[in-house]
Amino acid sequence: MAGMSELGRREATLTALRVGSGIAFFAAWQLTAMSHVFSDFLLPSVPVVFDRLWHDLISGDLLYGIVLTLIRTFIGFVLAAVGGVMLGVSIARIPAVRWFFDPLVSVGLPMPKIAFLPIFMLWFGVFDTSKVLMVAFSSIFPVIVEAWAGTQNIDKYMTWSAMSLGVNRHRFLWEIALPAALPQVFTGLQVALPIALIVDIVCEMQMGGEGMGGSIMTDMRFADSPGVFAYIIAIAIVGMILVKAMEIIRRRLLVWHQETQAA
Amino acid sequence: MAGISFREVRHTYRPPRGKPVLALEGVSLDVPDREFLALLGPSGCGKSTLLYLLGGFIPVEGGAITVGGKPVDGPSPDRGIVFQHFALFPWKTVRENILYGLEKQGMAKPEREKRAQEFVELVHLKGFEDSYPSQLSGGMRQRVAIARTLAVEPEILLMDEPFGALDAQTRALMHEELLAIMRRAPKTVVFVTHDVREAVYLADRVAVMSARPGRIKEIVDTKFKSNARGEELLQTREFADKVDHLWKLVRDEAIRAQGTRE
Amino acid sequence: MSGAAALEADTGRTAARPLAQRLVGALWRALPVIVVCIAWQLAPTIGVINPDALPPLSAVVTAWWGLMTDGSLVSNGMTSLYEVVVGLGLSIIVGVGSGVLMAWYAPVEAIVSPLMKSLYPMPKSALIPVMILWFGLGPNSKIASIFAGCLLPVVLSSYNGARGVDQTLIWSALGLGASRRRVLWEVVIPAALPEIMAGIRNALAISFILMVAAEFLVGQHGIGYLISFLGDGGVYDAMFAGVLTVSAFGFLADRVYLLFMNRMLRWRE
Repeated sequence: MAGMSELGRREATLTALRVGSGIAFFAAWQLTAMSHVFSDFLLPSVPVVFDRLWHDLISGDLLYGIVLTLIRTFIGFVLAAVGGVMLGVSIARIPAVRWFFDPLVSVGLPMPKIAFLPIFMLWFGVFDTSKVLMVAFSSIFPVIVEAWAGTQNIDKYMTWSAMSLGVNRHRFLWEIALPAALPQVFTGLQVALPIALIVDIVCEMQMGGEGMGGSIMTDMRFADSPGVFAYIIAIAIVGMILVKAMEIIRRRLLVWHQETQAA
Repeated sequence: MAGISFREVRHTYRPPRGKPVLALEGVSLDVPDREFLALLGPSGCGKSTLLYLLGGFIPVEGGAITVGGKPVDGPSPDRGIVFQHFALFPWKTVRENILYGLEKQGMAKPEREKRAQEFVELVHLKGFEDSYPSQLSGGMRQRVAIARTLAVEPEILLMDEPFGALDAQTRALMHEELLAIMRRAPKTVVFVTHDVREAVYLADRVAVMSARPGRIKEIVDTKFKSNARGEELLQTREFADKVDHLWKLVRDEAIRAQGTRE
Repeated sequence: MSGAAALEADTGRTAARPLAQRLVGALWRALPVIVVCIAWQLAPTIGVINPDALPPLSAVVTAWWGLMTDGSLVSNGMTSLYEVVVGLGLSIIVGVGSGVLMAWYAPVEAIVSPLMKSLYPMPKSALIPVMILWFGLGPNSKIASIFAGCLLPVVLSSYNGARGVDQTLIWSALGLGASRRRVLWEVVIPAALPEIMAGIRNALAISFILMVAAEFLVGQHGIGYLISFLGDGGVYDAMFAGVLTVSAFGFLADRVYLLFMNRMLRWRE
């Protein structure tokens, strides 16, 4: 299939460009560091930072932190995903639910939900529970919005075709509505995951408890700038991997979708 | 017996915002069993609405629509429908789309697989059973839609400008395919279109609808005496005369429709 | 369009219906919020919920008034507002400029664009500690965090907006004799405006998040600091008041911006 190899070639070029610009970025960093325009404290050189990364990796500290962060992020994200889809679909299909949640969701969406962190700490303490719930609370909104829109905007004619072919009212949701809404629902999940990661890191920075956020805050308090930079790189890499993973899952799951085909 | 009868059907369109609009008024019409009837008229005359009422997708508020003597009560596989924009299930393959109605009927697995394959071949899509709609051209997608509807063997086939989204060449091919399918397994067909030539070519009778509020203006017999088919038929005098006659009728209504646009 | 976009597009439009009808409609839509408020007042008062964990609405409102009258809410609010305005403002100036230039001048694009796209998924809050190292504990580190966090979304949307401008528009203008620079200012930027403005709206939300997060972590002033301070001191009703205030501000800022955006983009359908 000619299409496949063309896709492969484009991906390869994109990756090469990314790698190339990454190298350029680090080169620029290193040159700036070596010029000593900024002190070693403000801008440690690239080797120092990478050395620190390597050191933390070998000692296991880095992996431990990553795993902790990821676990909290995932649990919160799964809560938001399940709850958000259920709520979004209900809002689309049940007028009473929509009446109640429509204003709450549209008010809640632009609010800086991170502001609720002290409230969550008050209610749930300073350990994992409050972090996970805070993550869920922050990332549920985009899921609700997309699940709602995806379910609401299903093609009327497709619904009618299903009815004409004899679909059972009770099975309609599972057989027709959810698969049809899946692209949009998944978009909501793709927006929610990076939010989940950001919020979790902020929670760790605020509450401690290790994880990448906790570690970076500790390093900051000890004025350990290579450590801070090392963790930034680690966090950036984790973020990139998560986004990429979601893209790959999307392509598999939505192989039938026209966007996937068009790529 | 699958004769259709419309008696004084009226329908008011109520948009969520804005004033209600009378879409259909006093539509009365009989469609005998196995007849291919075209509903022809300018945009907005309510021909699609009439089709949706017949299909049971919209409740009948005024007047009555009966099929085989029984009033229409919701959608049913007996009145299969094909839409202009295909309305296929994009997450299902061609085969799965066609299987859907058969599954709903509770047909046994080996039997329905066999039936689905029959219909895949009927619409000349062999080899594409495992393709997704997004991988197919417009004409192919419409063929899947037709196969999906025909697979459940409805007594009545409703078609809502089914070839409107296709280019001229594909449309001509689809006309021939549709006629071939109808010759093999005749059904009652109600076919909505605004294309006069298409209506005259395909249908036994053409019902011209007036501008909104729609009623039946005139019904014209379009069975052809000559034995010509396809290209030949399109060249005959008989064909041209009928098209001309209907074209004038429709044009008058189209002008009227422009005038009342609000 | 995405669900969020559909929701947001809706709020800009007002049907020309009688005032009475619109008021009733607004009241009906606000009813769930009113129900929540009533529940908030009753539940802790009756004791269904522990009033230490969730002070009744009346206590929160009283505390809010107290914070207003003693000036702490206003003064801290001003600091936070200053941080957001400067940080966001800088990111808009630099971001729109860079994004559009990137789209217009090909060599810049080739180098910078892949880097931008790679950095996009970077959790912006992770930059806060660096900013604190560089700029200390005062407002400057918050401004820098906001700037850093908002820059990329603004650049990216400006870039996409400028790049997405219909080629035929550009060619027409060039054909009419306009210089490249004039085409940039008079054709590309206006055509890119919808997407740029959408990107700024996104950045606005991010700026609030980063401001609050940074102020929670370190600092001696600002509304995030105030909330944190009240929480540490066990003054929960005032803490809730602070949280609600900053949330309301985030919401209002978004709505006001939406009105502004719809005004500017009136020619869009």
